[in-house]
Formats: sequence, C-alpha cells, structure tokens
Amino acid sequence: MSEINAPMGGKVIEVKVKAGDAVNEGDEVVILEAMKMELPVVASASGTVKEIKCSAGDAVDAEGVLMILE
Amino acid sequence: MDMEAKIEELKRINREAEQGGGEKRIEEQHAKGKMTARERIDFLLDKDSFQEIDKFVVHRCQDFGMEKKKVPGDGVVTGYGTVNGRKVFLFSQDFTVFGGSLSGAFGEKVCKVMDLALQNGAPMIGLNDSGGARIQEGVMSLGGYGEIFKRNVFASGVIPQISVIMGPCAGGAVYSPALTDFIVMVKNTSNMFITGPQVIKAVTSEEVTAEELGGAMSHNAKSGVAHFAEDTDRDALNRVRDILAYLPQNFRERVPDTACADDPIRIDPSLNELVPTNPRLPYDMKDLIRKVLDGGVFLEVHQHYAMNMVVGFGRLNGTAVGVIANQPRFLAGCLDINASMKCARFVRTCDAFNLPLITFVDVPGYLPGVQQEYGGIIKHGAKIIYAYSEATVPKIAVVIRKAYGGAYIAMSGKHLDADINFAYPSAEIAVMGPEGAANIIFRKEISDSSDPGATRERLVEEYRHNFASPFKAAEVGYIDHIIFPEETRPRLIRALAMLREKKTSLPDRRHGNVPL
Repeated sequence: MSEINAPMGGKVIEVKVKAGDAVNEGDEVVILEAMKMELPVVASASGTVKEIKCSAGDAVDAEGVLMILE
Repeated sequence: MDMEAKIEELKRINREAEQGGGEKRIEEQHAKGKMTARERIDFLLDKDSFQEIDKFVVHRCQDFGMEKKKVPGDGVVTGYGTVNGRKVFLFSQDFTVFGGSLSGAFGEKVCKVMDLALQNGAPMIGLNDSGGARIQEGVMSLGGYGEIFKRNVFASGVIPQISVIMGPCAGGAVYSPALTDFIVMVKNTSNMFITGPQVIKAVTSEEVTAEELGGAMSHNAKSGVAHFAEDTDRDALNRVRDILAYLPQNFRERVPDTACADDPIRIDPSLNELVPTNPRLPYDMKDLIRKVLDGGVFLEVHQHYAMNMVVGFGRLNGTAVGVIANQPRFLAGCLDINASMKCARFVRTCDAFNLPLITFVDVPGYLPGVQQEYGGIIKHGAKIIYAYSEATVPKIAVVIRKAYGGAYIAMSGKHLDADINFAYPSAEIAVMGPEGAANIIFRKEISDSSDPGATRERLVEEYRHNFASPFKAAEVGYIDHIIFPEETRPRLIRALAMLREKKTSLPDRRHGNVPL
C-alpha cells in the first residue's frame, strides 16, 4: 500500500484515474493547479488504485493524500 | 631456494591473497548478488590494466587473538589502472575479509593510493563495501578514517573523487564518500547511515529497515546524499565510467573534446513548439535539453532528488558541459531548499573541473511556505547566487519562459557575471508575475474603480504585455540577444567557442564564506 501525495499545496483540477485502474510508476494521476500552473502529479510507484481521496475542485495541502495504491 | 622455487612460492602467495576471505565467503557475496572486490576492479578498469600495490600488507593488531588471524591485503585491494585509457587510482573494500572492516593497516593502504592519486593528478575511485571500523583495532581504526577524510578534503577540487557504495557503509565510514564529488549506490545491497536501525530503535523507538533508512533510493530521493541509484554492481561500475567521461584528470586540465557527429548548426523547428501557448501548461525541460545537446545524450545527475531542478552532463559540438535547468513539470519549476542545494553543488563541481555551465531558465520564483522559511530557504537559496558568481568557467544562459525576481538573478543572471544571456521570445523577465505586480502597482486604481475585477484584469494584461517579455531586459543589455528557439543549439555552440579561452579571476582572500 502506498499513498500518492500532493507535492505542493493547490487545487485539484482533474483526477485522471479511478478506483481499480492499474498505474505504472511515472504515470500522471492528478492535475494540480499551483503557482498559476497546471502541474501533473505522477505515481511514485506502480500499483492498482485502491481509493481516490480527492475530487476536482478540492483544495489540498502539501503532502495531502490524493489517492491510495495497493 | 633457487629462483624457480621462489617464483612458484610467489605465485602461491598471490593466489592466497586473491582468495580474500576464502571460497565460502566469496559464495556468500555472490549469493547476495554482489561481486567480489577484485571482480569489481576487473569489471571497472580496462582489461589487464590493474596494477595492485600493498597486496601483502597485513594488520598489526596484537589484541583479542588477532595476531593469529592475518589475511594478506587486510580487506582492501588498492592500486591503479586505466578507464578508457585514462589513469585512475582506486580502492576496493573486500567484505569477505573481516567484513571489509577498516584497521590501521587498511587505512594506510587507502591513504597511500590517495596520496599517489593526488601527486599524479588522476581521479580517485572508492568502491565501498565494509562493516565499518574493525573494533579490535580500537582507536587505530579511527585514526585510519581520519587520515582518509583529510585526504578527501585535500584532494577536493584537485582530482575527481567518485564513491560507489556497494555494500554497507555505516558510522564514521560514510564521511569519506560524503566528502567526494559523486556517490553512486546499488539498490537493495548497499546502504549508508550514521546510526543504523538497531541503534535508532533502541534510542528513539523508531522502526525502520536498513534499506528504508539508508538505501539507494532513500539517499537519492530523500536526503540527496547520493547522486545515482543503480540496479546492480555492474550498472554502478558502468555509471562510474559514464561520469569519468565528462571529468578531466585534474583541475589543471579540461576533459578532452570528442568527435561530434551531430551538426553544430542544426536548426530544430520543433523547439518553436516546445513551450505551450497556454502559460498554465508545463512542458518537460528534459526534452529541450536533449534536443540541444550532441546526439540527445544527457547524463542526468541527482535525477531523483529535487526534481524541480535538472542537472547533468552533456556535450555541445564535442565539448563537455554542465547543464542546469528548472523543470516546470515539478513544483512549477520553483526554487526550494533542495533544488537550491542540488543546483549550487553541481555548479561548483563543474567550476572546479573546468566545465562550462549552460543554464536553461524557467523559474517563477522561490517556493513560498512556512516550511521553506523555517528550513532556511534564505541561506540555501543564497547558495545558488554564491555558486554562479564564484564560477569562472564560461557561463551561458537561455531564458525559456519565466524568470521572476530573485530567481531571475540566481539562475545564471547577467549580474552574476554570466558571459552570454539569451532569451526566447516567450521569456517573461520581470520582478514578479503580472498578477502580483499589477495588484501592487495599481492597487489604488483598482480599488477606486467602479469594476475592480475588470480593471484588475485589464491592468494585469497591460502589465503582461509590456513587462512580462524579454524586451525590457534586452533594452538594457541584461539579455545579450533574443533568439529563435529553433536556433538554440548553434547559438550555444558559437557562444561556447567564443568563450573557450575565457580567463577571469576572483579577488584574493583566504577563501570565501559560502553560506552553508
């Protein structure tokens, strides 16, 4: 089990995966708006999405949990 | 005994020394996926080039029954040879002998080869695989380490020093690699820490495995102590060869130019499309770097650490260069504590070894936040300014998109004595972004207006049009030329050729006081 965390505080623009999807290390899973840019959050490990903990429009803090992989 | 008999005896003693700790321990080493100390040397160096010294040195410990257990070589193999025809000196710690632990004699062997490397102006490579200090040696092993550390420091910036961590490297032993220029670690079979999991658990009750605490990815991604993480011993040793190809023998030399098959005046129209029209969208700075360098070959250094900053080696028309760039895909390319350290360290390494600095800039500023402030972004950010100002190698910069505020100055700004500063038409060189600037400059006009929202929008756009461009900077010569993206490569190559004989120096002093 691993978490994917927001690298910096910002607003979730788009969640690109859903529960059950397989992700590979390096895949873009969320688009986060921060510092006036739309930044990709990439998976730091491979796995299957267990639970999505954010949705478009949410404000998140740095290190906030965006989703859980198993 | 006649000569023939003596020769046979010498052959026997050589074989004994080459067995290290014996068959069983060699098998244990292999079973872990690790090469032996001698196998690593054979793989790293050019075939048959290795000249070993001190093969028959034994320890001098008289305590704890150690006098009955002497092994020729005493746990480390030292000597010199060539890598791609170039002279290098090395030590390779032998985990099969006393766990590769360091004794007074072992320390002296390493010091001898380091002294030779320094006097003969050639790179020093350390293959680390050791349980640490040999406890039975007591204070003698501490002395051994101390003498090694001092030599790392005396050699720093004189000859390249590369450390490969290929097994345990714990306690005081880590300080020698820490003082060298580059650290390569092998995943799963190597680790570095000052205090290990057992001691940490006893003192703070934190539970952590050796790999989590000090393994290759922990040091590559979290602490930034290590610069490379490789899958196997062989990959790690090949990486050493890669790194050496970009470094000179010593600080008095430049790494030789290589033949270049890539057209030095190659125009690349795809560069015109790289920066998205939408300013909110990032692009991968590494695409730009690869399009510009010879053959698209880029040896990224510290790839997993502070990914908002990219550093590494490449060649332009055959000349080796150090490349530094902001990475908009991560943290919007902001400078933060880790990126500042990564950048400053690489800049100083390149300057120490005569490598020109090519900097690609797309930085909106320093990362805001309480953590950054408490963490000392002030002093860490200052390191970049210090490093670029201090560097006397040729410095060329290209502003790709944003260059705001202090970060504009820090990223090889003209004022830090960069030699040639280019900008793309998409460059936004300004004291801050249009939104922030308009809010401050036109605060009254916005609040006084009947429709503040619309007024702000209009004024932000005016500011963006007039100031978020390369022209204000070009008009005062802070930018030497605004270039077409497709001609980045030829522009850099010509500037580099112009700067080839650059000579400049800094004011005389004992040494500067870089913020640490």
